[in-house]
Amino acid sequence: MGNKQTIFTPQQLDAYQDCTFFTRKEILRLFYRYHNLAPQLVPLDYTSKPDVKLPYELIGSMPELKDNPFRQRIAQVFSEDGEGNMTLDDFLDMFSALSEMAPRDLKAYYAFKIYDFNDDDYICKSDLEKTLNKLTRNELTEDEVRMVCEKVIDESDLDNDGRLSLEDFQHMIVRAPDFLSTFHIRI
Amino acid sequence: MSWARERQTLDAGQIHYGPHQSLRLRERPSNSAVQRPPQFNWNADQPEEGAKGRPRNLKELPLPMELKKAIRQVQQMKVPVMSNWQSWKISKSKTMKRFLEESREVLAYVAPWRRTLHKIGGHFGGGVQSYFLFLRFLVVLNFLSFLLIAGFVLAPSIVFQSSPGNSETQNSIDQIECMIYSPEPQSLSVFYQYFLDLLTGMGFMEYSYLFYGFYNNTEMMNLQLSYNIPMAYLLTTAFYFIFCLICIVLRMGAVIRDVVKTGGRAVGGYSTLVFTAWDYGLQGNRATNLKQNNIRYQLQMDLEEERIRKVAASLTMAQTVRLYSLRAFLNLVVFGLIGAAFYAIFKATQFSQSQTGGDFLDLIVQYLPSIVITAANFLVPFLCDKIALLERHSPSTTVILALLRAVFLRLVSLGVLLFTLWNGITCNGVTESAACSVCQYNHKQYPCWETRVGQEMYKLTVFDFITVIAVMILVEFPRRMLVDHCPCKLAQFVGRQEFVVPQNVLGLVYGQTVVWTGALFCPLLPAINTIKFIIIFYCRKITLFQNCRPADRTFRSNSSNFFFLLVLLLGWSLATVALIYAAVMIHPSMGCGPFRFLSMMWSVVPDSLQLLSNSSRDFLYFMGSQAFCIPLFVLLCVVLCYIAALASIYGKTVSLLQSQLKMEGRDKQFLVKRIKELNSASRGKKR
Repeated sequence: MGNKQTIFTPQQLDAYQDCTFFTRKEILRLFYRYHNLAPQLVPLDYTSKPDVKLPYELIGSMPELKDNPFRQRIAQVFSEDGEGNMTLDDFLDMFSALSEMAPRDLKAYYAFKIYDFNDDDYICKSDLEKTLNKLTRNELTEDEVRMVCEKVIDESDLDNDGRLSLEDFQHMIVRAPDFLSTFHIRI
Repeated sequence: MSWARERQTLDAGQIHYGPHQSLRLRERPSNSAVQRPPQFNWNADQPEEGAKGRPRNLKELPLPMELKKAIRQVQQMKVPVMSNWQSWKISKSKTMKRFLEESREVLAYVAPWRRTLHKIGGHFGGGVQSYFLFLRFLVVLNFLSFLLIAGFVLAPSIVFQSSPGNSETQNSIDQIECMIYSPEPQSLSVFYQYFLDLLTGMGFMEYSYLFYGFYNNTEMMNLQLSYNIPMAYLLTTAFYFIFCLICIVLRMGAVIRDVVKTGGRAVGGYSTLVFTAWDYGLQGNRATNLKQNNIRYQLQMDLEEERIRKVAASLTMAQTVRLYSLRAFLNLVVFGLIGAAFYAIFKATQFSQSQTGGDFLDLIVQYLPSIVITAANFLVPFLCDKIALLERHSPSTTVILALLRAVFLRLVSLGVLLFTLWNGITCNGVTESAACSVCQYNHKQYPCWETRVGQEMYKLTVFDFITVIAVMILVEFPRRMLVDHCPCKLAQFVGRQEFVVPQNVLGLVYGQTVVWTGALFCPLLPAINTIKFIIIFYCRKITLFQNCRPADRTFRSNSSNFFFLLVLLLGWSLATVALIYAAVMIHPSMGCGPFRFLSMMWSVVPDSLQLLSNSSRDFLYFMGSQAFCIPLFVLLCVVLCYIAALASIYGKTVSLLQSQLKMEGRDKQFLVKRIKELNSASRGKKR
């Protein structure tokens, strides 16, 4: 059923099915979403593995990401060049990690990367402040921001170095039951 | 991110298999001593080799797609040394996995309202979506129950109605007055009588498949086929209850797993809020603005709670005593209110039972219990909310208290109604009193008491449905029109409707409990309830999208799902208790129904058991005897103790591992500091 598609070779589709949490149909549907972002840039034939990268502005204009305050960080984390310009592989990776079936550890890893604004493998106080401001649209007072950041580091910093490492973050995520359902983009 | 560097490595046409060679390029040349990029051991022997381990592990790696594809190629090339049997097994399990995925996709496609729920989750978040998921679960449950009842009770009754079966008759003269039951309506009735009968379940609806009184106690015993309708009626109802219990418990199981894993209440509220509160699935400017307001409000509330707690901790002894005595007094006031509501329901039920159907005024009297219950369920929580402002609890405690009080009120008010009915039927349990001495139940007032109880439940369901529709049309739509079109200050202060999930869920639980209680007496009630819930789904959806704004306060979907299912289970237990009491303690009506000549409903089962062959009868008797039940009970206690011990051990292990993790972190810091000191010391010495 539906073996007539000519976009990918069967081996490519198999590889995508093994490397993401999507089924054949979903992968093809996602490909069409990617293609519709820039029909003149994205060829309908991926059998020759063309090197096509969509600029961040197109990715950030998708309805699923358009209003997300973290969309730029999401695109940066999952893109190859770190600037937010995504190939089809990055695109599939992104939605696979954010899908329903991705396990908690995988999501925690990527969430950590998203909230780590300065890319130093730690969530330090400045990263936290930026996260908070994005979350509340800069409407908290400076005092409140400072207090909340102190409390967060107090609660989650296990090794007492004043910043959150990946283990601290993962340990905190284990105790958050809603994480799996909120870190989830439906597409 | 330096993935560009890796890409060059891979583009060279080869894949480096050396240990960590390509991965070392991912490491940042930074000074932080703790460096943990995601490691992948290329040379690992992969103990989990086999179709199960391989694809799943690959998907879960936090690596970019190109690396995953490369790993996959490596794995595939490493596999060739395998026997035919193993490769066949692997390919078969891979096909099976693909098949399961496809079937799961088809099942999700078939599940009703999938796209609607998707849209609701996107615009209003997980909390509101959990209400609609719960509603969908109840719709499916009711529909399956209706199929069960239709298959085993309704269809045989219709079929055997036409053919002559064996109806037992009893030639006892002194009980002839108990068998008087004439529900047929008079020949000439006013035109609106049909409408009134539809609402009250009397008149033309009373003697129909809808109610218990219509079913006969026919037992078909042909050569080819034997079907005992009374037994089918009772056992189908029992099986319906067990089926609902299994469905609820299964659904709870999935939710409990999450709750236990996270150790119950999530400690660390601030970090949880900051990192997991943002719902990535939200779409639309309005929803995201509201969510941001929401989070800001939550953080400010938490900070405020902290401040209140500090103030409360610093109260003097006198102030604390005063606060607690105030709280005790207010609790008494709340109990008094709830007690007053129960008394009102009791009186209303007694009054309405003594009237019979007729014209329009009597309709109000018929519906009096439903009206009083609904009014109490609206007024009392409202007053309790106002009282709770004086109690000065922290906000989260206030919410939990309000919910507990509402649950208590709803379920116990239904219990009071049932208690009043039972008392009326059995003359307060005194079978020697004048009205009940002849037939062991009040045959003058209740010639067919099961149908009356069924009618009460039917009226409750109908009234609940009418209330929902009426509130939507008369309150919610006008409120939105007012807020949108009237620039006055009052409108802006009141604001648009908020979709409050807990109260709506309690309404659903109440409706379902009524259906469970009435299932024995009104077999078509699950079908009516299915239609009612479907219409409520669409009404709520319309009101959500047209009239509501998302709630200001977050609603934790996961931990509250468990609470909803628990409340549903409570309602189920209430219905089960009522059912068992009715089946075992009250004498069935002699004028109607499938159990008309038995002393209690349950006795149809032992009577039928007599007809079985000797060996099966002995086997069943053995199962019911003490020689079997007591060892079984002891065995179950042992299993329970074992599981409880296991659970406590796991809990202790979790906390032990947590403290070990903390200690290791501190050790690591200590060692790093020591290394730095030693390095600087040795460098100092060299100079």
